[in-house]
Amino acid sequence: MSVITIDHVSKQYGNVTVLEDFHDEFKDGEFVTLLGPSGCGKTTMLRMLAGFEKPTSGEIRLDGRVVSSADTFVPPEKRGIGMVFQSYAVWPHMNVFDNVAYPLKIQKKSKAEIKERTERVLEAVHLSQYITRMPSELSGGQQQRVALGRALIAQPKVLLLDEPLSNLDAKLRERMCFEIKEIQQRFGITVVYVTHDQNEAMTMSDRVFVINSGVVQQSGSPIDIYQHPANQFVADFVGKVNLLKGVSENGTIRLTGVNDILPYDGPLTGPVDVMIRPEKIQIVPGEAHLKAVMLREFFMGDFDDCRVRSGEKDLRIIAGADTFGKFEPGSEVGLEITDFRVFPESAEDYTKILT
Amino acid sequence: MKSKSRFRFDVKWAVILAIIAFLLVFQVLPLLYLTIRAFFPEGRFSMEGLKRIYSYALNRSCLVNTLIVSAMSMVFGILISFPLAWLVGRTNLYGRKFFRTLFVTTYMVPPYVGAMAWLRLLNPTVGTLNVFLKNLFHLSALPFNIYTRGGLIWVLTTFYYPYAFITISRALENMDPTMEEASRISGASPLKTLFTVTIPLMLPSIIAAGLLVFVAAMSCYGIPSIIGAPGKIYTVTTRIAEYVSIGSAEGLTDATSLAFFLMVLALIILYISERVLARKNYITISGKSMRPAIVDLGRFRIPITILVALFAVVVILIPFGTVFATSLTMNMGKSVFAAGNLTTKYWKTIFSRSSIFKSAANSLLYASLAASFGMVICLIMAYLSERTNVKGKSIPNFLITVGSGTPSVVIALALIMTMSGRFGINIYNTLFIMVIAYMIKYMLMGLRTVGSAYSQVSPSLEEAAQISGAGWIRRLTDVLFPLIIPSIVAGWFLIFMPSFYELTMSNLLYSSNTETLGVELYLYQTYHSQQTASAMAGAILILVMVFNFLMGKLSKGKFSI
Repeated sequence: MSVITIDHVSKQYGNVTVLEDFHDEFKDGEFVTLLGPSGCGKTTMLRMLAGFEKPTSGEIRLDGRVVSSADTFVPPEKRGIGMVFQSYAVWPHMNVFDNVAYPLKIQKKSKAEIKERTERVLEAVHLSQYITRMPSELSGGQQQRVALGRALIAQPKVLLLDEPLSNLDAKLRERMCFEIKEIQQRFGITVVYVTHDQNEAMTMSDRVFVINSGVVQQSGSPIDIYQHPANQFVADFVGKVNLLKGVSENGTIRLTGVNDILPYDGPLTGPVDVMIRPEKIQIVPGEAHLKAVMLREFFMGDFDDCRVRSGEKDLRIIAGADTFGKFEPGSEVGLEITDFRVFPESAEDYTKILT
Repeated sequence: MKSKSRFRFDVKWAVILAIIAFLLVFQVLPLLYLTIRAFFPEGRFSMEGLKRIYSYALNRSCLVNTLIVSAMSMVFGILISFPLAWLVGRTNLYGRKFFRTLFVTTYMVPPYVGAMAWLRLLNPTVGTLNVFLKNLFHLSALPFNIYTRGGLIWVLTTFYYPYAFITISRALENMDPTMEEASRISGASPLKTLFTVTIPLMLPSIIAAGLLVFVAAMSCYGIPSIIGAPGKIYTVTTRIAEYVSIGSAEGLTDATSLAFFLMVLALIILYISERVLARKNYITISGKSMRPAIVDLGRFRIPITILVALFAVVVILIPFGTVFATSLTMNMGKSVFAAGNLTTKYWKTIFSRSSIFKSAANSLLYASLAASFGMVICLIMAYLSERTNVKGKSIPNFLITVGSGTPSVVIALALIMTMSGRFGINIYNTLFIMVIAYMIKYMLMGLRTVGSAYSQVSPSLEEAAQISGAGWIRRLTDVLFPLIIPSIVAGWFLIFMPSFYELTMSNLLYSSNTETLGVELYLYQTYHSQQTASAMAGAILILVMVFNFLMGKLSKGKFSI
């Protein structure tokens, strides 16, 4: 259990800035996720916390103790941190027990204590029956548990996870999400989790940092960043989105290319970007003042993923599964926009990332 | 597969069968015959010949020498290579890239050049370095004698450690760096990590690297023939060559037994090392291409860099410098810098004497032929094993591997015994026997280069040509070969270079018309003028560097030693 203070940390490789002025504090027992596309700097931040990289400037403190600053550097082995690597990094020349017990052996604990504590951790990660197996005899999911057990055994104050689920198949990934969350709560540990997968971030985090091009775009609870994205990038990266251009004047926004006017009492005037979540557009029966033509729909089991054309724009709509098949392709439907976000106009095309 | 019709003529299979026939006649037959001769010395089955390997004192002593010398070179080679590879690959040593290139490049230098240099440096009566050290430390006598087992071990080690260095460096580079990071984060110091994670993970590669040095030292002829012979220290290879040059029936029997023994030992060791590598191959590349964590040497950074630089000076700069200095020295009894002692006479000699010129032309021709024919075989055989599903498709691969693993002396002896008319083929004293010997010994390098290039080209590219109507030859020349041109070029040079300066086989197989550069140099070194030999060695060194540069250029920077 510990507080991680990141004091104006930045990182450059030569002339390239990979992380810009990260400044925040991770609370005791908090589950923090660093979320962003590959190359955004999230892994660099994690590796600086671990001590595998040195910040170019700024200071990192664990429970008030300076571990990285201009004149102090505590190497990884002296930081008392647990870490799970993306590749698991399970040592192939040691069996499951020896892999997990390694941190205790380094600490020169007694044989009896090592055995007792290792067995307890192996039970927590459901590996008790594989204790003498070699890593080559384990599945990817089991190797992952070995890595997790090894990271937890020394009862670290902080647990770092570097995209630990990215090599697992979808079903197992979902299960491990809940397991990791459960373990975090049981051990009351501060977790920093790096991922590019928004579902993982949503499931487990107390707080999510959305990072792009080395800059923190927004931090907040999963609900917060989903419902109140700070900018177009966050809106687009977390969840699905329709991006429309519009003009704000006299308490309304006139959408460009779509025949609709939305009520707006915010501070922005002139050209704006309007972001509408697909589930915030409803298909309404009968006459509606916003009309559209059904193009295609995809049955996804638990929802109906539709594409409609309204005016000159294609919109994505997520409707209930029971909507599927009610409207023929080419037929006219009425729409209602129930919620939207307005941002200052930007020339960048954020939807590119998704396509 | 293609049509199963027995009467349909298929170019692909005609070519493949022709190559297999070639390998059977010129490689399998000689080595098999040598083996049979070892068990049937006088036409009848008898273990007498093999018994003489250890019962005859002359044989036994050379056997003991070989085993001791090779084992010690292996031990020292690893003791040098692992720390070097680790320092260069994993620490913040100054100039690590430079040192890496330097140590790797010496791999391409003909070993006899080193022997010539150390002969001059550590001669027990006049060795330059010996005299220097004596004066420096006010010793009563010269400290070193190169004409000893120790001297032999020293030169073998300094010329074969690059084999181990390359193997270990590659393994270190391919190791997932998070394996070490996981240890650090678990609380282990860099040193503890080195001993509990890095070295155990590297062990298979270290063992394989050591065995490689052992086989190389054991099969080496150039170094023991130049250093061992004056000191009357015979190894198995020099003893075999001696028996062959005497040419008596009894001697030939002994040579056969020794050669058979050497071949079996080399092949067994190479087999073991392949198995060790294959079975416990821990070396994994992670999904994320992460640069390995660099260990900070701290206050030892400068002292260790100086130590590595000193090693480079002793092992590379001094010997090569000596070769060049010798080639420019008028009177070898005096320093090259003594008044009036500097001369370019010997360099003029090597460019004016017709015998040297002719041997260089011969070497160029033979090496080019060996490389060109060798690459044709490699391209087809790699195709066979990478692109088809024929039963026994790995047999040519296996044969080429065995050929390369067989000590040069053994290949030469086997060719002499079988290719001088005994089986209706008499190519002894012709250029063919030289070219064939080079091919057998060096084709493996080309095969590996081409094989790995094939495996990176998706078969669908070829299938796309096939569906467009291209036949087999067209598919190869239009699609596959153009895509792997850099590898073809590199493979060609990897066969060409060692063939160009080859000494061992050439020395046993040459005749008055087919002298090669290696032979000529050896004759000058042993009988005529060490300065001329040194000038030739200097020229060869320069040529090797030029070839290496050419290979880098022509393979578009993808390959260089």
